[in-house]
Amino acid sequence: MSILWWRRIFALTQKELLQFSRDLILVLATLYFFTGEVFIGGKGVSFDLINAPMGYMDHDQSLSSREWLNKLRQPYFDMKGQVTDEKQAQYLLDEGLLLGVLDIPENFERNLLNGVSTSIGFQLDASNVILGNLADSYVGLANAHSNQEWMLSRLKVVSPDQMQVPAIEARQIILYNPDGKSSWFMSISEMMTVLSMLSLFLTAAILVKEKERGTIEQLSIAPLTPFQILLPKILAVQMILLSGIAMSLFLIVIPVFEVPFQGEYWLFFLVSAVYIYAMSGLGIFIATISKNLAQVMIVSILLIMPIVLLSGAFTPPEAMPEWEQPLIQLSPLYYYINMGFGIILKGNDLSLIWQDLLSLFAIGSVLFLFGIWLFHRQFER
Amino acid sequence: MQTAVEVKSFGKRFKKTIAVEDVSLTIQSGEIYGLIGPDGAGKSTLMQAVSGVLRFEKGEITVFGEKIDSEASANRIKRQLGFMPQGLGLNLYPDLSIDENIDFFANLRGVAPEILHTRKAKLLDVAGLSSFKNRAMKNLSGGMKQKLGLVCTLIHQPRLLILDEPTTGVDPVSRRDFWEMLNQLVREEGMTALISTAYMDEASRFNRLSMMHQGKVLDQGTADEIIRRTPGWLIEIESARSRELLPALNDAFEHVEELGDMIRIGGFALQSAEAERRLGMILQDGTESWSYSPIGLEEIFIQKLDNRSQNTPQMRLTENRSSHRKEAVSTDSQDTLIRAEDLVRRFDSFTAVDQVSFDVRAGEIFGLLGANGAGKSTVIKMLTGILPPSGGAGFVAGHNMATSSMSIKESIGYMSQAFSLYLDLTVSENIDLFGRIYGLSGKRLKERHQWVLQIGHLQKECNTSAGSLPMGKRQRLALGCALIHQPKVLFLDEPTSGVDPIGRREFWRILVQLAGELQVAILVTTHYMLEAEHCNRLALMQAGKVVAYDSPKNLKATLKQQKGQVLSLKVSRPYQAQSILESNGYSEVALYGSRVRLFSQEPETVGKDVAALLADKGIEITDVMILQPSLEDVFIEKIESSHSREA
Repeated sequence: MSILWWRRIFALTQKELLQFSRDLILVLATLYFFTGEVFIGGKGVSFDLINAPMGYMDHDQSLSSREWLNKLRQPYFDMKGQVTDEKQAQYLLDEGLLLGVLDIPENFERNLLNGVSTSIGFQLDASNVILGNLADSYVGLANAHSNQEWMLSRLKVVSPDQMQVPAIEARQIILYNPDGKSSWFMSISEMMTVLSMLSLFLTAAILVKEKERGTIEQLSIAPLTPFQILLPKILAVQMILLSGIAMSLFLIVIPVFEVPFQGEYWLFFLVSAVYIYAMSGLGIFIATISKNLAQVMIVSILLIMPIVLLSGAFTPPEAMPEWEQPLIQLSPLYYYINMGFGIILKGNDLSLIWQDLLSLFAIGSVLFLFGIWLFHRQFER
Repeated sequence: MQTAVEVKSFGKRFKKTIAVEDVSLTIQSGEIYGLIGPDGAGKSTLMQAVSGVLRFEKGEITVFGEKIDSEASANRIKRQLGFMPQGLGLNLYPDLSIDENIDFFANLRGVAPEILHTRKAKLLDVAGLSSFKNRAMKNLSGGMKQKLGLVCTLIHQPRLLILDEPTTGVDPVSRRDFWEMLNQLVREEGMTALISTAYMDEASRFNRLSMMHQGKVLDQGTADEIIRRTPGWLIEIESARSRELLPALNDAFEHVEELGDMIRIGGFALQSAEAERRLGMILQDGTESWSYSPIGLEEIFIQKLDNRSQNTPQMRLTENRSSHRKEAVSTDSQDTLIRAEDLVRRFDSFTAVDQVSFDVRAGEIFGLLGANGAGKSTVIKMLTGILPPSGGAGFVAGHNMATSSMSIKESIGYMSQAFSLYLDLTVSENIDLFGRIYGLSGKRLKERHQWVLQIGHLQKECNTSAGSLPMGKRQRLALGCALIHQPKVLFLDEPTSGVDPIGRREFWRILVQLAGELQVAILVTTHYMLEAEHCNRLALMQAGKVVAYDSPKNLKATLKQQKGQVLSLKVSRPYQAQSILESNGYSEVALYGSRVRLFSQEPETVGKDVAALLADKGIEITDVMILQPSLEDVFIEKIESSHSREA
């Protein structure tokens, strides 16, 4: 690898960057993906129960019923007010205007005071499973709390501390995301998804563009090996996407969502670079089997789905069917997620992740070499 | 005669670009009317408007008395129209057989089954496709596809036939057959035809024509009228010392072209007597022979454009000549720089290239000719080392292509039909990129950069993006990029397709200089038969084989020996004249617009016989010409004899 060899690589890499910079739409889309998309991902897609709209039918209209309803408070619930009848309740739930409707029967307070058990009806829209589950358990908690208070007041105990009964106190230690903020998880996930998509698509797109235009023929006839033709494309994609990752981290993830970056920056960028390398190899494969940009799009979508689904990003590997579990090892995103979250949130260092890093590099090299081999072959037709 | 189509000051613009401006023409019924001009002349736009498939804002178009001004009126004439779009077999379905394709178009047009049967049989017979009825369209040759396209267009017996560049990329024999088929059908069915072409040498095929350029009509009428209206002369000089003569000739005449071993000079403003005097002074007592040659539409086209814009750039390689000369001198002009030995390339069961052998010497322009799909590009791909051959050997600049493809890549320049430039990069960025790929840097890169700008006359455009350059300039830039590392061998794959005649002429002027001054060996492929004249030697490929391999001069001389000269007669009723001559035992009588054309060893005597014969039948002869056989004639002869050898 002489100076000349590197000079050629440099010239071609520079060309790719120039071409990228001339494509205004591509530049704007990339900028948006790494900032806007990550922001929306972290902000908008939330698994927290916030201001869930609730309605109630208070047939009792007593002090106790109001007290009970008062337990469902902001920021979790937003009491919208009284619903007149069963029909209106159904309508509001069907339209999605309310998440749940509580039904407090007549004689609620009287029954309680007479020591008779009573019940509260709760209709819940569980079409969004996560929100439904959360609302269900929060209402359950509120009710348990209310029962406890009633019990104590019946025992004439003003405060639980006066009771000489042993109690178990659960002292949870929540590691890495003590406040359980889903925005941390989501913004980092979104950044990784964006990187996956772009590293696959950008590489394939810039290669297939040369194919469509016929310039690839010119490069093949120049004194360049397939490796020399393909490496600059990957280098250019690396530079573009690593800058994108930097933007995401330092403009959105850290300042906006206040994610504490526990590990080393350089290690995260190294891991990202290896991940981009692996995905670009796959991109080259896509470009060699595709004839035009439309085919690149279709095949990219086809491949990105299993990569994301098998990565364990949204389903933990343990929860997958048994036959799927070994396949996880083939998804580059699986390793990236492991290492990425490890470095950012847990502060893992190289000694903890080197095995994952090697595996990712190996997968990347297989894909890249396969891509080069296919690329070499395509002219022989 | 009735008027079939009338176009009055038609104009069409697409957003900001004017496609056609103020075009008027009248097509008589029964006429074959031509629209002739390079890409971007507005031919397709005009044809689409006449077919009623394009809205336009300016002018008036009447077809068979129906004014096309609304969707409804366009629909009324559509059943009387047959339209064949540009591109080989683009309107056909590749996976359907010939029979199924025809049936599909017949059903589309609502042809009654009983009519369809006889009509199909007749058309297939005329097209010579009857025996291939069940073959899938994708397995047909280019010429057959084009004929099938015509059959499908004609199945509903249209009164007006509109064909957009039907002969582009088709081999000379298929081209001739196509014209014969068309002539016969137009005559028998009383059709009118509007046909476009980019080949200037097809002008004589039309009864009348409009010569178009950039949306405007340059001239109209019969080919003879147009030539007469722009009086000029053309002299061909055969000389062994053409390079010495060139400077003096360049000073004395407007148009000087070096074509292989020949120099062609031409003039319009200058009187031919004065030209003869000047020529005599330049040649003095040399052994050169010269003769007048008939002026063609190509020359007229260039002349007309020259008058419009006087500032056509003149190329010069000379500024930097000294530095190149040194390297040039070191190569012996007899060096063979490209050699193909029995090259074979098979794809599955299909043999794309079959035992092709030729060699190209330093300082030589070698033409590889043939129709689309003849195997030209495959030969180039093998010689440049991106496609391994199935058999045979090749040597480029002394390197064996099988063992040292990387050394070959370093010593050649290559420019492909698509002008492989990066359109989103500027002119300078393109030059620098290719320079650096070929290992140039620093001062050397700067020098070569300047050189490329100079030969392409692109100094003013160096910060323009390559995509916004006009075709001619883009092509010169691509050539410059291919030459950036001063290769000794240059491969050009259809470098001039889509470029207008002026651009082509300038391009060839650079090539001649490169070969002459820098001793570059140039291998060029083309399907413009007119360009074959520029080559020192050429090989004609047909279905993967080389069927002719010699200098243009020798090829023509051999044909002249075999078949004699060409007798061309302008007659009052050409269709009739043709059939009279054929029934009286004259073979290969071809129809060219209002002329009939035949070969003869004794053109004078035969001319008299023919004149008497035709006068007898009441056909008037208005003009008689005796011409030398053209390269096109040579190619037709060669391809046909290779066919008959196979049969």
